[in-house]
Amino acid sequence: MTDSRNPQDPNDDVLLQHFRQHTRGEPPASLDAFILAAAHREAPARQPNMWQRWLQACQRPRWQMAFATVAGVALLIGVVMRSPVPTPELSTADYSASPPALARPAPTLAAPAPIARFAMAPQADSAQVQAEVAGAAVDAPVAKMSKQTAATLPFLEQGLQEILRLRQAGETKAADEMLLRLHKRFPKEDLPAQLEVLQKR
Amino acid sequence: MDSPSDESLLARYRTGDAGAFEILYARHRQGLYRFLVSLSSKAELAEEVFQDTWLSLIRSTSQPQGRASFRTWLFQIARNRLIDHWRKHGIHNPLHDSYDEQLHGQPDGSAGPEQLLSLSRDQDRLDAALQALPEDQREVFLLRLHGDLEVPQIAELTGAPLETVKSRLRYAQQKLRRLLAEEVPA
Repeated sequence: MTDSRNPQDPNDDVLLQHFRQHTRGEPPASLDAFILAAAHREAPARQPNMWQRWLQACQRPRWQMAFATVAGVALLIGVVMRSPVPTPELSTADYSASPPALARPAPTLAAPAPIARFAMAPQADSAQVQAEVAGAAVDAPVAKMSKQTAATLPFLEQGLQEILRLRQAGETKAADEMLLRLHKRFPKEDLPAQLEVLQKR
Repeated sequence: MDSPSDESLLARYRTGDAGAFEILYARHRQGLYRFLVSLSSKAELAEEVFQDTWLSLIRSTSQPQGRASFRTWLFQIARNRLIDHWRKHGIHNPLHDSYDEQLHGQPDGSAGPEQLLSLSRDQDRLDAALQALPEDQREVFLLRLHGDLEVPQIAELTGAPLETVKSRLRYAQQKLRRLLAEEVPA
């Protein structure tokens, strides 16, 4: 007995082995079955792992709604954030691929666009064409300006022009009445002088 | 691959793995049953205590505490159940008998090593030899035999001092060798 963990000598181990080999006795099969059945019956409910818990959460309607909402918002943000700017190669291809018929002006058009005429008459005088282009470029802003100024003309000037028109039409009485009304409305204005200036234009 | 430890199997069963309990039960059913039959000397009582022990393990949520192994824990539960049964039925606990080990532990010169190979293999004689042991020596020997417990574990389980357990085990083995010795035919 030299070791506290194993105090036996080899002969003692032989004795133990002898007993282990020649001792019989087993619990009855019915007792085994009873205990194992009890163990299965009373085993704690198996705890699902994280993946299974996630799947179960996904199967609940409330979480389904939440996930669907998050997915929808993410999709929306993705679509909004995506810039639809075409690449240069794409725009070149679009213009080069346009059919020639579209480049030509339609025969029914009374006044083709300047750029179209420029394409149709390459042999024309370049100075003339440039003048036309420049004129077209200037006409458009003027027309736009006249509309704007007509819309923004002061009431006084409109009234004066109406008076001039009435006088030219020979309706002097109506013109005088209108002048009187304007004078009441704008007593500080020198209406006759403005009428002369307007008539001289 | 190493087989899972008893403690890990118990922990798996506590989380719902019923298969882990089957492995645990298969490992210890025979040793625990034989320990109880030999200690109580009654098969019916042994079966009752055996069943109670496993059911209490199934229904409990506790684990072996401290340094105690599962096996020590299991055999301690069974031993306590058996003592409870004896108390409940007014039977004097033979494990608590005082015992003069010096008186019963006389050296046996007739059981030399050369006679070990001729130990009786007769089951009845083996049982009779075990029953002939004093109760406390028998308990220690049975825990060593069927529980495969080391002396410190037996001392912890029985609450007896380490040196006492050693001497009980030594005297038990000497007596068993003497009782089981057979004449070797010349």
